[in-house]
Amino acid sequence: MIIEAHGLRKTFHAKRGRGKTEEVEAVRGIDLEVQKGEIFAALGPNGAGKTTTVRMLATFIAPTAGTARVAGFDVVKEAAKVRENIGYVSQAGGVDENNPGIEQLLLAGRIAGLSKKQAQARADELLAAFSLTEIARRPARTLSGGQKRRFSIALGLVTAPPLVFLDEPTTGLDPQNRANLWDEVRALRDRGTSVLLTTHYLDEADALCDRLVIIDHGTVVAEGTPSSLKKEVAGDVVTLRLKGVDDAAEVLRAQSYVKEVRTEEGLLRAYLDDGEHGLPHLLRVLEERDLTLESISLDRATLDDVFLRHTGRSLRDAA
Amino acid sequence: MIRQTSLFLGYELRFLLRNPVWPLFGIMQPVLYLLFFAPLLGKTTASGSMPEVLAMFTPGSMMMIALFGSLFAGFGMINETRNGVLERLAVSPAWPPAIILGRVAKDMLVLVIQAILVMGVAILMGLRIGLPEFLIMLLLMAVTGLFAASLSYGLALAIKDENGVSQLVQFFAMPLTLIAGLFLPVSLGPDWLQTLARFNPLYYGVEAGRSLFRGDLGDSTIPIAFALLIGLALITLVWSMRSLRRLAA
Repeated sequence: MIIEAHGLRKTFHAKRGRGKTEEVEAVRGIDLEVQKGEIFAALGPNGAGKTTTVRMLATFIAPTAGTARVAGFDVVKEAAKVRENIGYVSQAGGVDENNPGIEQLLLAGRIAGLSKKQAQARADELLAAFSLTEIARRPARTLSGGQKRRFSIALGLVTAPPLVFLDEPTTGLDPQNRANLWDEVRALRDRGTSVLLTTHYLDEADALCDRLVIIDHGTVVAEGTPSSLKKEVAGDVVTLRLKGVDDAAEVLRAQSYVKEVRTEEGLLRAYLDDGEHGLPHLLRVLEERDLTLESISLDRATLDDVFLRHTGRSLRDAA
Repeated sequence: MIRQTSLFLGYELRFLLRNPVWPLFGIMQPVLYLLFFAPLLGKTTASGSMPEVLAMFTPGSMMMIALFGSLFAGFGMINETRNGVLERLAVSPAWPPAIILGRVAKDMLVLVIQAILVMGVAILMGLRIGLPEFLIMLLLMAVTGLFAASLSYGLALAIKDENGVSQLVQFFAMPLTLIAGLFLPVSLGPDWLQTLARFNPLYYGVEAGRSLFRGDLGDSTIPIAFALLIGLALITLVWSMRSLRRLAA
């Protein structure tokens, strides 16, 4: 177990005008267990408490309550030891715009105790691994967003830590760069590094991570592998747009092959284990009741359906 | 500790060597003052000769680089509070004070080099100064730079806003300049101004400089200036290091 957190809480006291403070409960009791060598994601909308959780685990801020051990060390009592064993890549990136990436890699290596030679060797290794060798000497401000992001991850890996935190690693990247970065994160895992990443992208969590927690309003609402979480909901989702949503919902809830029905304005989602075979039955039943469809679609259940099931709202609307 | 500080210093110096032009702009202001303002001051000294005028005016013009150069040193750090650089360093194995000390050391070095250039110009114009006085003056500039740069980093880390810091620095720089007698000795002014000047650490810096340039090594303003500037530098250094630590939370 590379991360073990129990009942983590963080309450901020935000100043609101003169002398008034407001308590903000950013994290309200989070339990986490991350295995060695896995890519673990914390998925949730903006403001859910993902970053605050990671910042507590990376020893930036002390938890208000709860305990956590990272790489075998207590995040409060042995913060310095934790720091020696983690890489942390913030949302902001932490790349110095005015200096070339190579200088920053070398400095990061030297302050971690490497000799000049070792730091140079490590920097060369990372530049090659992230295809940055050719742009290593250009001031970082002249690099593209994707290149800068790769530098920021390389910077977090200089000490070859067994665990690396990636806070929203692909926010703001174009699809091509995102896909490349996913490959790089997988390559990290293949070399034995454990990764804890936060994301508000459903597809990212789904495609990239081995296990995940879904975080909302500072608590963990679901935990598991992407496929097990989706299986909990159902295999497929039939989304119907029609008049008389409530009638349709009542009818469908009585059908044995329908696991669950959720409705929104003019929209109905029916969860089925086997969509291909269930759909003809479903259509027949609706027709018998004279319910006319405007549109229909059959999709595989996604993590958004998981989120919807646990929080009552869609992640797309939650931000 | 020294290793870590020198690593950060080296990083900053390599940046400087890649962009060596900017500190040169910093000395334009005092050099212009030496060239075009000092000649106007003939009547303010006893003999009115150029060497005497320069001995009076050069220390003030050197303090000017500290005020309008080193006091803005923290500017670059404001951006680093947002782009995650300081955050990254804060969870790195770096010894936290080294992050500030390395930069302050660079600013001191820059200021000393600028001071050498300004004194060089003054000497070309006719200033006469002995080697010990010259070296002590450089030491005085180094201490001034230590104070001004640490203050600047402290402000940057506490305020974290470019607009706020620039306004605040301007707000303080102007009265400090006037009350220190940067351009003309306050001894030319009324008693109240002289009394007021005694509460301005910069005044002692300028007066110590003038004593040195007169060759008056025994003047009391010299130890006072060193003690004051070193004391203030230590306070502001501790303050900026604390602000850096608080930044994470």
